[in-house]
Amino acid sequence: MMWDNFIWFSTASMLLWILGVASLYMNKKSALTGNILISAGLALFLTFIFLLWGDLKHPPLRTMGETRLWYSFFITLVGFVTWLRWRYKWLAGYSVLVSGVFIMVNLLKPEIHFTNLMPALQSVWFVPHVTVYILSYAMFGAATIASFIAIRELKHKSERLMPLIDNLTYIGLGFLMTGMLLGAIWAKEAWGDYWTWDPKEVWAFITAAVYLIYIHARTQKYPLRIILWILPLAFVMLMITWLGVNYLPAAQGSIHVY
Amino acid sequence: MAGKGKREQKIAIEAVIVAAIAVAGVALQIFAGGFKRELLAFPVNLILVISIPVLLIIFKGASRHLASGSLSVILISVATVIALYMGLVPGNSAKSSWPFVLIYLALLINLTASVLTRLRTFRFRKDISFMLNHVGLLILLFSAGPGSADKARYFMRVFEGKVEWRAEMSGGSGKGETIELPVAISLEDFEMDEYPPKLAIIERMTGIALPEKKPIYFEATLNAAATIKSNSLTVDSVLYKPGFAPAAYVKVVDNTTNKITEGWVSCGNYFQHFKTLNLDSIYCVAMTFPEPKEFRSKVEIYSKSGKVKNGVVKVNHPLTIGGWKIYQHSYDSARGRDSVWSLFELVYDPWIIPAYIGMIMLIIGAITLFWKGGRS
Ligand code: HEM
Repeated sequence: MMWDNFIWFSTASMLLWILGVASLYMNKKSALTGNILISAGLALFLTFIFLLWGDLKHPPLRTMGETRLWYSFFITLVGFVTWLRWRYKWLAGYSVLVSGVFIMVNLLKPEIHFTNLMPALQSVWFVPHVTVYILSYAMFGAATIASFIAIRELKHKSERLMPLIDNLTYIGLGFLMTGMLLGAIWAKEAWGDYWTWDPKEVWAFITAAVYLIYIHARTQKYPLRIILWILPLAFVMLMITWLGVNYLPAAQGSIHVY
Repeated sequence: MAGKGKREQKIAIEAVIVAAIAVAGVALQIFAGGFKRELLAFPVNLILVISIPVLLIIFKGASRHLASGSLSVILISVATVIALYMGLVPGNSAKSSWPFVLIYLALLINLTASVLTRLRTFRFRKDISFMLNHVGLLILLFSAGPGSADKARYFMRVFEGKVEWRAEMSGGSGKGETIELPVAISLEDFEMDEYPPKLAIIERMTGIALPEKKPIYFEATLNAAATIKSNSLTVDSVLYKPGFAPAAYVKVVDNTTNKITEGWVSCGNYFQHFKTLNLDSIYCVAMTFPEPKEFRSKVEIYSKSGKVKNGVVKVNHPLTIGGWKIYQHSYDSARGRDSVWSLFELVYDPWIIPAYIGMIMLIIGAITLFWKGGRS
């Protein structure tokens, strides 16, 4: 079983990422070593995902443990790319930390007990739907971290993080909307309706709506000390959509609970 | 400062109006009962779709107020609160309640007004992202909301070799009613592919599979082998003929005593009893039911207007005929692959094309958010 090797791959990747971020902080002159180390960690982690894919004979996107795997990968990737684009070292560091949390969860509670793919999941929409969603989660995760720092910095009248936060939220919302719409098109093909207010859909709607409130409140130039709290709130909704829906009393009988 | 006070006043007025709408919704809900979707059935929905923009164009002054961005924030917030109620309270019917319907309507008006306002000063590079997102959403909301009143869903059960025109309504007010549809299905064949059934060693009394914390299930295919708690299992032959339950001839060697046990194991089906292989007084080898991998119906479909179509319907692959989509729903699960009938769901949604157009515009609009970022 490929999963048994996860501990080796993840520990090695984690080590490369930590060394890479440390190198970014220590070596002020050149970021080359740090960038190479982080990229190597990403490549190694992705290798594991593809080996697992080959082993399962279907993309590892179905169980909770499998989607957490992608999240661990993408959150680090997002942190790394934002570092390359906007030079925020701390975001690279934080995203490695968050990734580490999800790796730990996967090591302690893998939740990977399915191998047979049920007919409803055998669809061309399945992979893009879930991947795009996870990408949006990674963006919003980074935006949430940044929002906490921005809230603290408001005391010093600094708004330096606002362009970053807005960018991450716009991109995250772009992915979220795409993921939702791909899901809707898929639902029409699989169940005959593109939207039925199924519990998972209700929570996906809530999540998107709270991010929409942030974006529209920003265009209205509302005070930051209020607006910035919308992002952590939205992220809580996102976590409920992703991890919590199955446990809610209102969700018993949802088509999304497998 | 005066400007700021004025803005706050405007927001306060908008909040009061939205609150009044919500309260009116609650009152209607209490006194008139739940919202009946049929109220919006064609042509009411079409009149609504046309009259909202037309009225907003005629009443330009009102339209300017209704296009307010702060009003959008309030309305989306209230919609979110209603959705939270939907998501938290078990068994609620908020989606067909008056408050929800009225807020939905207010959102439609607000959105139409802001699109019309933006259209007056439209410049491609500056406004295309806004237009794709908001016009796309508007079209989608019109189709999914008022448009859904024209939607109909039916279940149709068809036996192999038979033709069926009658179906049972699967939702709405007429749920359970049987009527004759303008489409018919002739089922030539129902087929199913299955994953191989699995073998495990279980405790006979409790059914718990070994090893207790991390049970091993292995596929009952020819020559498959597994070691479970010092027992080596091999599958020497497999039998699975149409109409019969799957069976596997299993040989088990106890590695500590070298005792060999062998025999047939089967999960059974609707007329054959299951069969296990006892290893001792506590444990036995048992087989799970095969899980469906794919099921499909070979059909010929007809419409009253004379169209005929041949094809295969399976999960995720519906067939379309004259505005109807035909879905593989289920089969006789007691018989599994030997089912002699297939249950189809037939869906009629005349607003599906605009809904798709709205969704595609929204997807392109979402992509524009990537390069646009937070700069407006
Ligand atoms: C119920 C739905 C919605 C309503 C009522 C609404 C309303 C509005 C209004 C009135 C504005 C103009 C704000 C201003 O410029 O002052 C606006 C801007 C904006 N909306 Fe929406 N909107 C809705 C949904 C969406 C959705 C689904 C998206 C994206 C996926 C979106 C993204 C944006 C963006 C990015 C802007 C700023 C655009 C720009 O300034 O170019 N909105 N919205």
